[in-house]
Amino acid sequence: MGGEPFEAVMSAHHAEIYRYLRRVTFRSAEAEDLSQETFLRAFRAYRELPPDANVRAWLFAIATNLFRNSLRAAKRRRAAHDIVKGRGREHDGDGPEGAARFNEARAAVEAVIDGLPAKQRAAFVMRKVHELPYETIAKSLDCSVDSARAHVFQAFRKIRTSLDDAQLPPAEGSA
Amino acid sequence: MTPNMTSCRAIQPDLVATATGDAVPGAEARVQQHVAACAPCRRELDRYRSIDRIVGDIRRAPVAGDRADVVRGDLEYRLAELRRRAVTCRMWLSPLGPILIAKSEQGVVLVEYLDSERGVAASRLLRRAGVEIIEDGTETEAFYQQILEYLAGERTRLAWPLDLRLAGSDFQREVLQATAALPYGAVTSYARLAREIGRPTATRAVAQALRRNPLPIVVPCHRVVGGTGALTGYAGDKLALKERLLTLEGVPVAHARRHQHIVRDHMYVRADHDTEYCVPTCGSLSTLPLWRLTLFGSRDRAESAGLAPCTSCRPDLHPISA
Repeated sequence: MGGEPFEAVMSAHHAEIYRYLRRVTFRSAEAEDLSQETFLRAFRAYRELPPDANVRAWLFAIATNLFRNSLRAAKRRRAAHDIVKGRGREHDGDGPEGAARFNEARAAVEAVIDGLPAKQRAAFVMRKVHELPYETIAKSLDCSVDSARAHVFQAFRKIRTSLDDAQLPPAEGSA
Repeated sequence: MTPNMTSCRAIQPDLVATATGDAVPGAEARVQQHVAACAPCRRELDRYRSIDRIVGDIRRAPVAGDRADVVRGDLEYRLAELRRRAVTCRMWLSPLGPILIAKSEQGVVLVEYLDSERGVAASRLLRRAGVEIIEDGTETEAFYQQILEYLAGERTRLAWPLDLRLAGSDFQREVLQATAALPYGAVTSYARLAREIGRPTATRAVAQALRRNPLPIVVPCHRVVGGTGALTGYAGDKLALKERLLTLEGVPVAHARRHQHIVRDHMYVRADHDTEYCVPTCGSLSTLPLWRLTLFGSRDRAESAGLAPCTSCRPDLHPISA
């Protein structure tokens, strides 16, 4: 059984798993359902988890599985058209004038991320937002570490090709 | 481009990884070598660095309409529900055959003699709605050990927390509670139990309630027999187990004309709610019906149940001769 009480697991990881699912799914209600289901499943299986297991990686794997299953189920229901691709995300105001171009670029990047295939989107969000190691991402997606890296690379390529140079502010330290 | 240099196409994955802080060992050096001589790729490297900064900004930004706290609250409610319904169980091997022990948060829910071939799949737990089954032995192993000790004659009390949720009715719950109070080595009748719970005409219903006892051994329905002293029945068709448990507790059992019965003449007797116990020949005891009696296999058992030797028949001085 996992080393600490399940309440401690919830406190440590619930918010992060919820936010991960918010970022990879398209409807906030779906993310809420999936995050609850993640922890209900985890609760049932927790006592079989070795005490030295990486609980965070394990929860991400459960969440990712549920997320992908829900996509498959949605496809089966032919409800895919309900998913509005590239829906605008809400931002907390545009900030100072100088940041406007940056925010615009950010919105553009987020739109590309939303349009990525599920595996790439999950891999990208796990790596770049939650900063998980590739081994964990590979396990979550049930693929090799090389494939996990390739998913993230492809995601960056798509972001790059969808943005024109004018949208990109100069990088710090660039010539 | 120098002849040994990686091509622009081939350097791409390393270039992206370098710009986004994901480079594998050696990649960064390859990229630096390439961009030193390739201006377009140098610009690409910068662009990817810009993108990585934007992604960093996304990472730091809060999720729009973050309801983590609300969702967590709902989840805690659902988990509490799940915990209430959750029953952990495991099939254990015992001298009586495979036994399932199941426990909820409140206490032991079920002790079940299982079919050795079908195992847990045949458990009545599976036919129960609203029970969340988690197969795990950590919470029931101690109870299993106590059953082994009991079956080895090394333990006379099973003081377990019980959860009577599998009782089908308040009536059955009452019967089970009254039965749980029967001490080790004592025998009483269904009719007496019916009177104990204030339902003197419900003898058959009491027998039925015990036939479906979800907690055999710990709620010792094997200590309850028919009005003639016949063992009557046990856990469906397991009369031999009833005889075995009674014999283990020192209750004399005899076979007569294809049925087993306790040997009343060889047992110490408590009439009604007396505070004393007697030899079976004391006064008019031998003529009293079983529904007025509790019987004990030995003086030890009667005294462990808090009874004193009768001052007229003096079982302490004149015990039943073997």
